[in-house]
Order: sequence, then structure tokens, then C-alpha cells
Amino acid sequence: MGKNKAILEIKGYTKIYGEGKKAADNVTLTVESGDIYGFIGHNGAGKSTTIRAVVGVLDFDEGEIFIDGHSVKDESFECKKLTAYIPDNPDLYENLTGIQYLDFIADVFGISAEERQKSIKEYADKFEITDSLGDLISSYSHGMKQKLAIISALIHSPRLLVLDEPFVGLDPKAAFTLKQIMHDICEKGTAIFFSTHVLDVAEKLCNKIAIIKQGKIIASGTLEELTHGETLEEVFLEVVDG
Amino acid sequence: MGRNIILLKTLLRSTSRFNSYKYCKDKKKRGKIVGAWVGAGILYLMLMSYCIATCVGYGHFGLTAGIPAMCAMVISLLSFVFTLFKTNGYLFGFKEYDMLMALPFEPKSIAACKFLYMYINSLPWYLSVSVSTLVGYAYYAKPSFAVYPLWVILSLIQPIIPMLGAAFLGFLTAKLGSGFKNKTIAQTVLTMIFIGLCFGSRFFIEDMLKNNKTEEVLSNISDITDKTGSVYLPVKWFGGAVTELNVLYMFLLIAVTAVLFTVVFTIVGRSYRQINSALGSHAAAGKFVMKEQKQKSLISTIAFKEFKRMTGSVTYMTNALIGEIMCFGMGIAVLFVDIEKVIKAVTKGAPLTSEMMVPAIPFIVYFFVGMVATTCFTPSLEGKNYWIVQSLPIRKKTLYQGKMLYNMFLTVPFALFADVTISISAKAGVVNTLLSAVLVVCLCAFSTAWGCVCGIKHIKLDWENEVEVIKQGTGVVVYLLPNMFVTMGLIVLVVYLGTLISSAIVTAGMILASAILAALCYARAMSLAAKQD
Repeated sequence: MGKNKAILEIKGYTKIYGEGKKAADNVTLTVESGDIYGFIGHNGAGKSTTIRAVVGVLDFDEGEIFIDGHSVKDESFECKKLTAYIPDNPDLYENLTGIQYLDFIADVFGISAEERQKSIKEYADKFEITDSLGDLISSYSHGMKQKLAIISALIHSPRLLVLDEPFVGLDPKAAFTLKQIMHDICEKGTAIFFSTHVLDVAEKLCNKIAIIKQGKIIASGTLEELTHGETLEEVFLEVVDG
Repeated sequence: MGRNIILLKTLLRSTSRFNSYKYCKDKKKRGKIVGAWVGAGILYLMLMSYCIATCVGYGHFGLTAGIPAMCAMVISLLSFVFTLFKTNGYLFGFKEYDMLMALPFEPKSIAACKFLYMYINSLPWYLSVSVSTLVGYAYYAKPSFAVYPLWVILSLIQPIIPMLGAAFLGFLTAKLGSGFKNKTIAQTVLTMIFIGLCFGSRFFIEDMLKNNKTEEVLSNISDITDKTGSVYLPVKWFGGAVTELNVLYMFLLIAVTAVLFTVVFTIVGRSYRQINSALGSHAAAGKFVMKEQKQKSLISTIAFKEFKRMTGSVTYMTNALIGEIMCFGMGIAVLFVDIEKVIKAVTKGAPLTSEMMVPAIPFIVYFFVGMVATTCFTPSLEGKNYWIVQSLPIRKKTLYQGKMLYNMFLTVPFALFADVTISISAKAGVVNTLLSAVLVVCLCAFSTAWGCVCGIKHIKLDWENEVEVIKQGTGVVVYLLPNMFVTMGLIVLVVYLGTLISSAIVTAGMILASAILAALCYARAMSLAAKQD
């Protein structure tokens, strides 16, 4: 799947909290155009800390992060124009209706009226929330908010899609739709970097995986390189516990 | 009982700056907390200075006996107003409602703990008034030793009755509002009606009590204070208890407070679940049909987002719109009431004419519309949603420009309306009216930009309840108090200058000054925003 153009490059990224505790320690990895890159690890291993730094939400101490050649530290605005982010528990503007929120995102990315109408309709239909787009987000269930956040991330065709635990809260059909969409957009050259606890999903979906433990990458590479015929679960338990 | 104390303690701890300071390792954050303490300390000192100055006035004119009633009145008014604007955010529809109701607490206990939480958080304000007026009273009256502890203790009880009154009004608005489809708008309208009735009844009572309208201003105020005591009995009980050491008054103040507390929270407790369930449920039509979409500019879309944020919150709407509504009411009122009569009523018979007041019109209007600028709390209001603007390609400059644009949308139409109607009513003439309109727009721009500077400088995203930033945020307080006092000073200054030189020249000078200040504040806001990128 890889097309060898580096979209996301994390080089020696280190994040130190409070009294010197390293939440991320010299993290280095590269996500190329067309990759679906899974980022796995225990709770508190440093997945969200890394993801939040990639999307420019979190400051970091050492290292560099590049998105399509732009430094997140120095050119964060350029980076954000190329990226879409879906957090694990999206807090959206609850006083807007679904369509108002999507319009807000579309306005931010300067998407024309016709283009947004087409893509909102396409994705909202796929996730079966078109009927609810006129309702306030505060009336949405967790899963519906998650679907809305996913649609908002997709409507501006990002070069890099970053997702933190995207399948949590999604019903089986929506999870299947999301996986299909992930495959589709990767075919078109988008790079996807996402964290998950569900190893089966990572195994079936990703072409590359990185395992993080206590802030350090302890294993990374293509799925084949990592597993060598074993299941991802077995590999994960071996490297994490070993 | 023990469980309720645990709840109260936890509520206080969850928003306590001391707790954050104690456990926060980030030096920058700790510095900000210390800064907020210092800022709050300055505000308490300002209030204490005001109270001491008032006591000096009372003492100087031989009205020392009126100081206890004045203290009780100031505390009562402060506590009533503070609570009225906060009740909806603190008592009803708060975010941890589900979590608390799932725990073994009675609904009335939760409501009562939330009320006590509000009370304890406001105690420094009441104590500032109490201690400073006690100092003033002690200086002039040389009271016995027993007065000192009694004064402080009873002044801590004094705010509870007005707070209960305000909380009960909040309860009524929430209960009535919860029956409507658009609960937020309904609650806001009802709150505004109650506020209007409270202000209206104050003037009505004052008017009934007045015997001689040409009395000296200070003795007039003292007269009102004394007579308020005969209408609002807790003021009388406080005065009697601390000056005459009257045990009956002491007992009455404590007993009535306790009884009212029990009664109010028994009533509130009965409907608490029903009100919160209604406020927490949202109608979902599920009938959306995709129609033609429109593309907006980024700044407009941010301004629209702010508008929706406002209409989704009773606390936001009541606090942001109160000045505008008062301004609108004033603009309408002067069309029907002789402005000379209004001036006489407001200035308590001071020898001022409408002609003399012409240069002050934009400042009077600004006093209301500039009372709160939404920009001083909207940066903090992003709260947990901050990740959205942080992860999107929106420069902070653009974000704050959008927030400023919204505040201008909100203030300018009301300010212009009131300014023009008052100018017409005061027969200010075309040139003065035009200049006045330009000045009021410049003042709105200044308020917006100055508010934004305060809002960005004192941004607080980790709030638990929006009341913390809308009503008690450092940005709001830093904006509000100097703005209010400077405006009052400017009203006096321009009236005085208007007696020396042409009103048009005074207004033109003020346009220049306010435009320069607005531009400077805007530049400062933009430079602060650029640092956040």
C-alpha cells in the first residue's frame, strides 16, 4: 500500500510532564502516503500524548514532527491545513446543530458550497445520520458525536488523518463503514495514523504498526515484519510483557 | 449530615485554586494562580476602600448610626445580584448532575450543597464589606468589644436570606422555563423579567419612602438606608443586633435564615429531579433534509459560532444581554418620558439639565452596553472544545477577530439605538447626535478590544462550570471594575467640560481618545493572539 512519500515524520519526539516524567521518549516513526499506520500500547503508554503533539494540540520538549515536510513546531498552521484529527472522546460545540458544525469546519477549510454539500451528503448517508444533522449536537448520543467528528474530518480531504481510538462508541455497522472509508481514502493517497486497543482491528486494517510502552517505541514496522506468522496479539503480549 | 459535608468539601476542592496550586507541578500554572490571588486581593481592597470611603462620608456628616444598616444593605444587594446571575449555572443543568444524582444523596441535599458552595465562594466579598465597614464604624462610634465579633458573625449570616431569594427566583425560572421547547430562551426571558421587576420595585419602594426630594444627597441615601430597614427587616435586625446588642434581633436573623433555608430547599428538592431532567433532555426532530449550503468567511463563521454558544446558555445570555436590554429599555423610555424628569430622578434632584448632559449621553449608554464584553470570557469559554480550534488551521488572530466581531454585532445596534433616541429626546441637535453616535461606536470598539485583551491574558480553559468564567473569571473582573469606575468618572468629566467648552468639541476629543485606545487595545489583543499560535 505504501507509496513512499513521507506524510508524517516523527523524529526523536519527547514530551516531559511535571517533575521530569517522560510521557513520550525519543519517539521516531514515519507514515507514508497510503499507509494505515496503527499505534498500539497499554493505557497511559503515551499514544494520545504523541497523537496530540502531531496535530498541534500539545507542545513538546524535544524532537521534531513534520507533516508533508512542514514542521509542526514552526509551521503549525500549514500542518493543520493538511491534517484532520478525531480525538477519542470528541467534545464538540454542543449548541450547534450537526450541519452547523460541519459548515463551520467547511468554512475553516474554505470548501465551496457545492463541494461541501456533496461530501457532507455522501458521508452523512454512509454513517446514517443525515436525518439528525438538523438537531443540536447536545441531543446526540456518544456514537453520533463520533460519527459527526469523523465526517468533519473527512469533508476536507486531508493528506493526513489522525484518529485516537476511532472505533470506541461506534456501532458495528459504523465501524465497518469507517474501515471501508479508511481503505478508500488511503487508495487515493491519504496517510492514516491511528491509535487503538483493538488488536484484531489493527491486524486486519493496518499495513504498519508501532507498539509503544512507557513512552518508548519498542517495536515498529510492517505487519509482516512484526508478526512473522504469529498473531498481532501474541506479538504485542510478548514485546510488552517481555 | 457527614455525607453532605463531604459533598460540599469536594465541590469546593474541585474548583479551589489552592488545591490546584498545591498539586500542580507546572511553575507557569502556579504563577498564574498566584497572579489570580493577587488580582482578587486587589479587587477586595478596592471594595474595602469604597466601603471605608462611604463610612468616612457617613461619619463626617454625623450619620455613624446608619453604618451598620448600610453594611447590611450592601452585603444584601451584592449577595442578591451575585446569586441571581449564577443560580441557573450552579443549581440547575450542571454537568456533573448525573454523577451526583447516581450517588446516595437526596436531591435537596445536592441543591443545598451547591447553594452553600456559592455562598462560601462569595464570602471574601461579604467579609471585605463587613470588616471595612466595621473599621469605619469602630473609628467613629467607639463601640464595646462585643460588637466586633458579633458584627462579623452576623454579617456572615446576612447574605443568606437575599441569596435564598435569588436562588428561589432562579428555581422559578428554571421550573417555568423547563416546560418550554426552547428552554434556554424561555429561562433567559423569565430571568430578565424577574430582574426588571426587582429593579422596578426598588425604584417604586424608594419613591414611596421619599418625603423630601431636595434633601442633601448623602442624608437622602442615609434616609433610604434607614427606611429600607423598615421594609427589609434583616437590615433592621442586623443594625439592632450590633448597635444595641439586641438578643431578639440576633435570634430573629439567625432563626429566620435557618427556617427560610429549610423551606426553600425542601421546595426546590421536590422538583429538582424533574427540572434537571427537563433541562437535560433535548428535542431531536430527526427530519433534516440536505438543502443548498452557503459558504461564509472564516470570521463570520466564528462569530456565528459565538452566537450559537450564547443562545445555548442561560448564564451567557443573561450576563451578556443585561446591559443591552437595559440600554434598549432606556432608549424606549426616553421616547415617552420627559428626559428632564429622568435626569432629576436619576441624579436625585441635582441641578443638571438635559443640555448639560448632552456630552455624557454616549458614556451613559456605554455604561450599560460596556458593562460586560463577551470577549473577556469567550476565549475561556472554549474550555474542553479548545482542541477544535487548536487542531484546525485557524490563526488565533482570526479566532479572536471573530469573537470581537460578534461582540460588536451585539453591542453596536443597541448602543446606537439608545444613543440616538436619548440625543433626540435631549434635543442635542444633528451635529451632536452624529458625533455622539460615532463616539458610542468607538466606545463599543474599545470595550470589545479591551475585553479581548483581558480575556486572552486571563484565559482559563480547565473550568468545571461556565459560571466560573462568565461570572467569576479574572478576565471579566479585570475588565469590568476599572471600566465601570472610569466610565462613571468620564460622565462627570464630560459634563464639567461641557460647561466650559462646546459639547461638540468635548465629544470630538473623546472620539479621538477612545479611537486611539481601541486601536491600541486591538493591537495588543492581536499581539497576544499571535503568541498563542
